[in-house]
Amino acid sequence: MSIPEVHLVCGTRPEAVQLAPVAGAMTAAGLLRPVLVAGGPEPDAVARTLARYRLQPEISLREPAGNGHAELVGAMIHDLDRLWAGRTPSAVLVQGASITSLAAALAAHWRRIPVVHVEAGLRAESPDRPAYRDDDRRLVTQVAALHLAPTALAAMNLLDERRATGDVLVSGSTLVDAALQAAGPGRAANRRLVLAVTEHTPARVLVAGARRLIERYPDVHVRLATSEPVHLDVDRVTVTAELSHADLSRSLSEASLLITDSAGLQEAPSFGVPALLLGPVAERIEALEAGCARLIDPDIGMLVRESAHLLDSQVRRAAMVAGDNPYGDGHAARRAAQATAALLGLAVPPEPMPSRRIAPTVSGAHA
Amino acid sequence: MDVVDFYTGSWISDDRAAVRRVLAPDAEVEWNLDAAVDDEELVQTLHRIAVFADAVTVVSRSPADDGAALVYELTAPFGTVRMAEFLAVEGGRVTEVRQVYDVVAVDRFFPGLYDH
Repeated sequence: MSIPEVHLVCGTRPEAVQLAPVAGAMTAAGLLRPVLVAGGPEPDAVARTLARYRLQPEISLREPAGNGHAELVGAMIHDLDRLWAGRTPSAVLVQGASITSLAAALAAHWRRIPVVHVEAGLRAESPDRPAYRDDDRRLVTQVAALHLAPTALAAMNLLDERRATGDVLVSGSTLVDAALQAAGPGRAANRRLVLAVTEHTPARVLVAGARRLIERYPDVHVRLATSEPVHLDVDRVTVTAELSHADLSRSLSEASLLITDSAGLQEAPSFGVPALLLGPVAERIEALEAGCARLIDPDIGMLVRESAHLLDSQVRRAAMVAGDNPYGDGHAARRAAQATAALLGLAVPPEPMPSRRIAPTVSGAHA
Repeated sequence: MDVVDFYTGSWISDDRAAVRRVLAPDAEVEWNLDAAVDDEELVQTLHRIAVFADAVTVVSRSPADDGAALVYELTAPFGTVRMAEFLAVEGGRVTEVRQVYDVVAVDRFFPGLYDH
């Protein structure tokens, strides 16, 4: 009997990062043959990202032509439909809420191919913050046969939208799997590295904060990654452009504190790194509820004050990350592979990610 | 005008007779709304959308040899609903209609569109 072929569609670097561990887990289990499809707006970036995990796309579609979200979705549905008309997989895996994942989910549904949604159930909107990507997310949810939710909160979102309980699995996030794989087993001891990674916060806030921290702590190094160009020649401050996910993961394995407005938040607890999340709002609140991150205003005084509060006390840092990572335990990819095999009748469904172990209260931890 | 354009143009302009003409007599109809559907229920639901919506726009159209995949935006007074539709065409008639609604948005912005 031939092994069923499953297509994992990656359109962007984040999708490639999160689907790479699933492809690896499928290969290891031997029940399914994963085929990576680069089929979106960044085919070259997808190929480069997969190469970091010693993978490569087996199928590369042309870069979709068109202007705007709807035209791109239409073009990609067309291309994927033509692919799957001639080479029909047993299931299609999509990740998140990109143009690619929406197009692939709809194209697969059109061909009646079961859709597995990795990182399902994320919702961003609130009454004062309508999020258009939630439209795409909900449409993918409607056509997916299996929803792999990274957290219990994401699973609750799916149940609130009347998804059947048996179709939802709390798998954990494969982003955590990817980070642990990229960083390897070693962890630096006596870490005094502050990793600051921002996408939206003005770089000047971090630069000023970094200067004050190294003045105050002679043993602290700051690694600053920002999308803005920054020229800074200061001892013990390293400035880099945006980090790849693998570089981010390795940096986390050396860090004692993460300052971020998004990147690394989900992975940091697995490396024992508490996070300061630069507000004003948090899209992923599980880390705040778990206590492994604190939401702070993105101003220099607050950033320095809260950083010092944690750098001054190893106990405070340890208390924040004493519980399990709410975003994953490093086994999400294995669960995704097994759940997909189960969907196709080739395995028993996996157990969900265990409920999070709550950190014990540490007296004086927040003093 | 091809069959797909005729079908979409007909229901968006609330021409129920034209929609019935272009649907094959034994057309298969599926949707993800929590209600039973046949071809007449489809026609009535499309009619209710056309009447209630401020605008219906085909934002994406993917042709295939035997049909098309469409994505619509259904704009209601308080918000917009996305709907994907997959059509099969044979012999100049629509033989299959499969609709996928954002049901959360439907319940919010098109209350009473269908009977639970």
